[in-house]
Amino acid sequence: MIPIGAAPAPPPIVALDRVSRTYAMDGVRVEALRDVSLAVAPGEFVAIIGPSGSGKSTMMNIIGCLDRPSAGAYRLAGMPVAELSDDGLARLRSRTIGFVFQSYNLLPRTTALENVATPLLYQGVGRRERTKRATAALERLGLGDRLHHEPNQLSGGQQQRVAVARAIVTDPALILADEPTGNLDTASGRDVLAVLRELHSTGRTIVLITHNAEVATAATRQVHIRDGQLTDGWMAA
Amino acid sequence: MNLLELLRLAVSRLRTSRLRAALTMLGVVIGVASVVALVGVGQGTTSNITSRLASLGTNLLTISPTGGSTAKPLTLEDAAAVATIDGVAAVAPELQTSGTVAVGTQNETTSIVGTNAAYADVRAYDVWQGSFLTDPTVDSGLRVAVLGATTASNLNLDASAIGSTISINGLPFRVIGILQPKGGSGFNNPDDEVLVPLAAVSKYFVGGDTVRTIGVSVASGDRMTEVTNAITALLRSRHELAATATADFSVFNQTQLLDAASSISTTLTLLLGGIASISLVVGGIGIMNIMLVSVRERTREIGIRKAVGARGRDILAQFLIEALTLSLLGGVIGIVIGLGVSALIGQLAGWGFQFNPTTVAAAVLFSLAVGVVFGVWPARQAARLDPINALRYE
Repeated sequence: MIPIGAAPAPPPIVALDRVSRTYAMDGVRVEALRDVSLAVAPGEFVAIIGPSGSGKSTMMNIIGCLDRPSAGAYRLAGMPVAELSDDGLARLRSRTIGFVFQSYNLLPRTTALENVATPLLYQGVGRRERTKRATAALERLGLGDRLHHEPNQLSGGQQQRVAVARAIVTDPALILADEPTGNLDTASGRDVLAVLRELHSTGRTIVLITHNAEVATAATRQVHIRDGQLTDGWMAA
Repeated sequence: MNLLELLRLAVSRLRTSRLRAALTMLGVVIGVASVVALVGVGQGTTSNITSRLASLGTNLLTISPTGGSTAKPLTLEDAAAVATIDGVAAVAPELQTSGTVAVGTQNETTSIVGTNAAYADVRAYDVWQGSFLTDPTVDSGLRVAVLGATTASNLNLDASAIGSTISINGLPFRVIGILQPKGGSGFNNPDDEVLVPLAAVSKYFVGGDTVRTIGVSVASGDRMTEVTNAITALLRSRHELAATATADFSVFNQTQLLDAASSISTTLTLLLGGIASISLVVGGIGIMNIMLVSVRERTREIGIRKAVGARGRDILAQFLIEALTLSLLGGVIGIVIGLGVSALIGQLAGWGFQFNPTTVAAAVLFSLAVGVVFGVWPARQAARLDPINALRYE
């Protein structure tokens, strides 16, 4: 059963259909996700809101193809994830998703330019083209004068903007942001959210995962998660 | 990702931790350097032995006594009898002793060889100045001497010394000739000797008609075995040995000696190389150790790379190329040092330096192999990391 939603076309970028994820921790089965269904249409900006332990990290790992569902089906940009090998997942991630993490996750001792160019490296893009596109992405985020700075020479807000540049450099179908403001002061956090809104306004699909309801207001649609289940929000029929 | 990109990554990574990279390489450097140096020294020794034996004379058989309580010594009569064997071109009995040679205030202890005119042919000496011993001077036991090239230069004697008088163990001898150098050096130098008539040695220094060795020059190389057998049969009957008795002399074929010497030397070279390669293995373990630490330290980096699209094989290649860069760079440095050391030893020992491309190629391949063997496991560890856990790793 594919969730169809109010808009019949185009097909959704993210389509979770009764997805469950259970872990075995010390022999105890933990159900991190239970029968979650969610569809995100192209161009949407969806916030997934939940307290810690609600299963939102698991949700993010599954949407981000870092993990596979234990049960249920997940299609990312039309691709059935369950059928892919680890390498296939890597390729899908590389082509389809741009990640923004809470702790930036930039490569240490590596310049902003090279950090942003790294996803292109794994797509087999040539050096000259990589530099061109990474420079453009950084300039778009107002970091044109920080191309050759290493992460430890940048402020938190600047590092997160480098991470956003890295997320958009491959022109992905989906930007997946996991607590992107969690490590930032209010001003920098607002700054990053403004960047995400701006990206949304240019037609990008964004999924934002946060525990902070205020942060979630940046999105156009909010989904709440608690104890591994979506409690309300805009569910497919 | 192509090889160039991977190399660029590896080099930039190694540059951020230079000291660690240098120390890790050091193991391979020492291993490769000792393999290259020891094999170089071994090969130098082999070619030294080979060329020295070749300069001893062509188609040379050497008869020496083997000793024993009932042994009969080799005599001048034995030498004369050997000379009658078919296929023998020349026979030079030698009676060797050591003595002090003095000219003016110069003093030199060297070997005094009593022999005959055939010695120059048998042992392949050429005369540089003056003349060699002749049959009449030998037969009459005249006090004349022919000097080896090294001996002459040690005594500061040149062409003008022909006809002058030197003293051997206090007795005056007239210099009649100086030999061309054969180009040996160090221990057992064939150019450091004084040749005098055999009769002079037995008359003034040693006494008796016993000889130390008999050099035999065989007419042609393919008759060596035949002549060896004939000499053995002749001397056994002359020494009245029973058919079952062990011979109290031995006939040395120089070719055999050469084969034996080079096979010993080759074995030694292999042994030395083998011992040295143990240190190469230890160096490889050093690389593996550092790579494992590095994988652990860089868990988060691996997670990030996987999240942005690196496949397992990209990570594997990255870490493997890093290990290979370390081992190969270490190998190249080791080769340079090893060649330097073997050149230095060759210089000191006097056999010069031979560049052997096979050794260098083998050393390069070996260090590559070390990198692969000891790099694969850490690289696989890295490639298999789960991106979720790797990203969460602090």
